[in-house]
Amino acid sequence: MPRVRRSTNRRDSRKKTLQLASGYFLTKSKLYRSAQEAVEKALRYGYVGRKRKKRDFRRLFIVRINAGCRLNATTYSRFIGGLKKAGIELNRKILADLAANEPAAFTSLVEKAKAATAAA
Amino acid sequence: MKTVFPSKGEITRSWFILDASTAPLGRLASEAARILMGKNKPIFTPFLDTGDHVIIINAEKAVLTGRKEDQKVYRHHSGYPGGLREDKVAKVRQVRPVRMVEEAIQGMLPKTKLGKQMYRKLKVYAGDKHPHDAQQPTTLVAQAAR
Repeated sequence: MPRVRRSTNRRDSRKKTLQLASGYFLTKSKLYRSAQEAVEKALRYGYVGRKRKKRDFRRLFIVRINAGCRLNATTYSRFIGGLKKAGIELNRKILADLAANEPAAFTSLVEKAKAATAAA
Repeated sequence: MKTVFPSKGEITRSWFILDASTAPLGRLASEAARILMGKNKPIFTPFLDTGDHVIIINAEKAVLTGRKEDQKVYRHHSGYPGGLREDKVAKVRQVRPVRMVEEAIQGMLPKTKLGKQMYRKLKVYAGDKHPHDAQQPTTLVAQAAR
């Protein structure tokens, strides 16, 4: 086997890692070895976080929609059931936004859901 | 479209009164906790205190169902060996009636700094008087959810 010299490759890859670790606490942004560990962990947390974000937001939407529903004398569960029966396919993100920023529109949706529940 | 989060200054808080003599303690507490946490508002934000203020009156008349009047025990520990103190409801109700309501509600709030902040918006009074008329509180009727 011929001897391999890493030449600039090693420096480049270390530079890349330290770049990713810039702004980290103490040695994590200064020393290659700590930085490498921190970056690996950070990327893994980031991957999990991107999945969690979707769940977390859905939970928040549901809490907000529920609050809007209770202002209109119904509950989240009944409201969503009614929307399904009424064939309204707005997602929870939009519903939560309406509940917060367009209370009138949200109320009319609640009325539609109630009507559909009563009809079914 | 982005989900909006209110900034601290945008949060408006109103005041509500609940009467402890009108509903069982736990149901009253969950209603109060919901308002303190801000879950009654469609702008609820998990990392901010969006809740309203709650005034509880008639804490001395808090309602307990079943045989809790005789059986329920309030425990706390002084920190010294053998320092576990146990008080029956009858004693707590007589000595410090607001404790029953406060403990029930605080137990339903988050155990965080934000939870402590929410708890500070709670005012409990033993009798039917309160000094918060200036805040123009709305009287609520505690009810089972729905």
